[in-house]
Amino acid sequence: MRIWLPPALFAALLFGLSVGMPVLEPLFQWLQPDKQRVVYERESFLFLLQNHLLLVAVSAAVGTFVAVAGGIFATRPSGRDFLPLVSQVASIGQTFPPVAVLALAVPVLGFGEAPILVALILYGLLPILRNTLAGLEGIDPTVREAARGMGMSSGQVLFRAELPLAGRVILAGIRTSVTINIATAAIGSTIGARTLGDPVIAGLVNGNTAYVLQGAILIGLLALTTDSLFEALERTWDRRFSPQVATMSL
Amino acid sequence: MPVTKPAFNLMVPNRVVPALGVLALALVWLLDVGSIQPNRIVPGTGHGLLSAVGWLGAGLVTLTLAASILISVLPLRRRYSLLLGVVGLSLAALPLLLDMFAGRHLPEASPYARSTIASGFWCLLFLLSLMLIEILSRLRAGRALQLMLLVLIVGSWLVLLRGDGLASLSLVREFNARPDKFEQALWTHLALAFGAVAVSACLAFVLALKMIRSPAWQRPLLGAVSFLQTIPSLAVFGLLIAPLGALSSAFPLLQSLGIRGIGWAPALLALIAYSLLPMVRNTFVAITEVPENLADAGRGMGMTERQLFFQLKLPLALPVIIEGVRITTIQAIGLTAVAALIGAGGFGGFIFQGLGQAAMDLVLLGALPTIALALLADALFTMLADSLKPTPAAT
Repeated sequence: MRIWLPPALFAALLFGLSVGMPVLEPLFQWLQPDKQRVVYERESFLFLLQNHLLLVAVSAAVGTFVAVAGGIFATRPSGRDFLPLVSQVASIGQTFPPVAVLALAVPVLGFGEAPILVALILYGLLPILRNTLAGLEGIDPTVREAARGMGMSSGQVLFRAELPLAGRVILAGIRTSVTINIATAAIGSTIGARTLGDPVIAGLVNGNTAYVLQGAILIGLLALTTDSLFEALERTWDRRFSPQVATMSL
Repeated sequence: MPVTKPAFNLMVPNRVVPALGVLALALVWLLDVGSIQPNRIVPGTGHGLLSAVGWLGAGLVTLTLAASILISVLPLRRRYSLLLGVVGLSLAALPLLLDMFAGRHLPEASPYARSTIASGFWCLLFLLSLMLIEILSRLRAGRALQLMLLVLIVGSWLVLLRGDGLASLSLVREFNARPDKFEQALWTHLALAFGAVAVSACLAFVLALKMIRSPAWQRPLLGAVSFLQTIPSLAVFGLLIAPLGALSSAFPLLQSLGIRGIGWAPALLALIAYSLLPMVRNTFVAITEVPENLADAGRGMGMTERQLFFQLKLPLALPVIIEGVRITTIQAIGLTAVAALIGAGGFGGFIFQGLGQAAMDLVLLGALPTIALALLADALFTMLADSLKPTPAAT
């Protein structure tokens, strides 16, 4: 149970600060004596947090689905022809800077939530795709042979043997993807998405350091909450599915 | 076995290129290839393939794509070399389409009118690049061939874009409006990204050595650098403003050096912090994973620990360290673009300025060079790492 403590603490802090930022007004007043307003009020922090989370969650869900399906397709006999191209694209695509992908989505799709969602999905699925391929290709071929020898159909081999074995690597890919997307969604404020990046951008434009600080702290906490959540998930996975690895890493 | 394999590769039809080719044909006929804008801000009127480049251009595009589909399914001996020629040449000649488009549609009398690239053209470019990647990987092309092709294609694009025919292209107009600023942005971008990589490489080297000497430091140090990596870039830039601003107003010396809450100083600091994780991890792993029996052999030959480190461990570790430098550089080039938000300059400046003014071509003028820099850094460092790997003949 102790592994769930950090994500719970970070989440509580994140939620508490999102609701109770106005309580800290005197502190920000002291930091920024020359401004009348020191707490960002254009939108509630809770709404921004919720919207930020929604963008990241939707893009992670769609990205995971597409990437895992693509990875499975490229490693089946019928799709093997596409494997070199898919794995090349997954690695070349990751050299594209996220900001540039975000910027390119705007001329095509316009301002607002649509371009940022598309950019997040496209960029976020690359690490998942790469890890799915690595996970599925890394399975010892004798495992597949054994599963088939037990009379499993190819669908059963996939769902009962291959995916559970590759799952840990895929989960690590989702973690990378979500970490990147939380950061990219924050920058999405510049193209009209309502995220926790809003206070930072507004503060930078108006020279209000207090706004910048509020946005930055919440973004940082969101990232820490999610990252520690994935850490806990990965540890639980290890304990459940590969006890030897778990004891070794302790 | 070695005899049958190449024959098998050559004679089996390729399914990937036809799939991409059919998709490209559909998209290039369905979507607008280009549009004409009366001035910078007003949205343009789109033109489909036929209207944009006429029967000649549309026929050429269709024929080229059909040819590449046919070559990939017909039983041809030198299939991939043929495909390489067709796809490579069409990629190099792609700007000619824009040239034809501008020549047919740009009104003579309006000096502010500009031609813009539309989604059909981008799709064609993207799918042709995918075909090229597929062909190169089937040919098992070496780095030299890949680099030659890249130089050929990029060179032809640069020559064609500088020509008179494409002076009306909005991207070219945006560049021609600010060539000095573009050059300045390039140098700022490179200085920030490579400055951060250089500083973090030195720091990471020291940290990795510390971790090797005293294993107790391993967990806290790796934990600290990966903690830094977790915090989103915008938050790090934002968090550095207040402390650096306070430092700068407390010490006038810092202020005269240009160190303030916004600008290059917080950008560089944040970039260094970000670069530490991949650098430290790769340097540490590279040096610790040199096989112990090699070190023993060195000791047996009478090498001192210092000689062992500099003449054996470091050269062997170098390719993995360079791999770390590659990842870090790509990451730093992207993050430098974000740093433009806190006034650090670079290509990100064009991106955010363009987003602010809803001038999409200015956004492209910032985004495309950023991507090009990242791809270039990737190619160069991969080549460097490959050339440093010990060859079997040398051992």
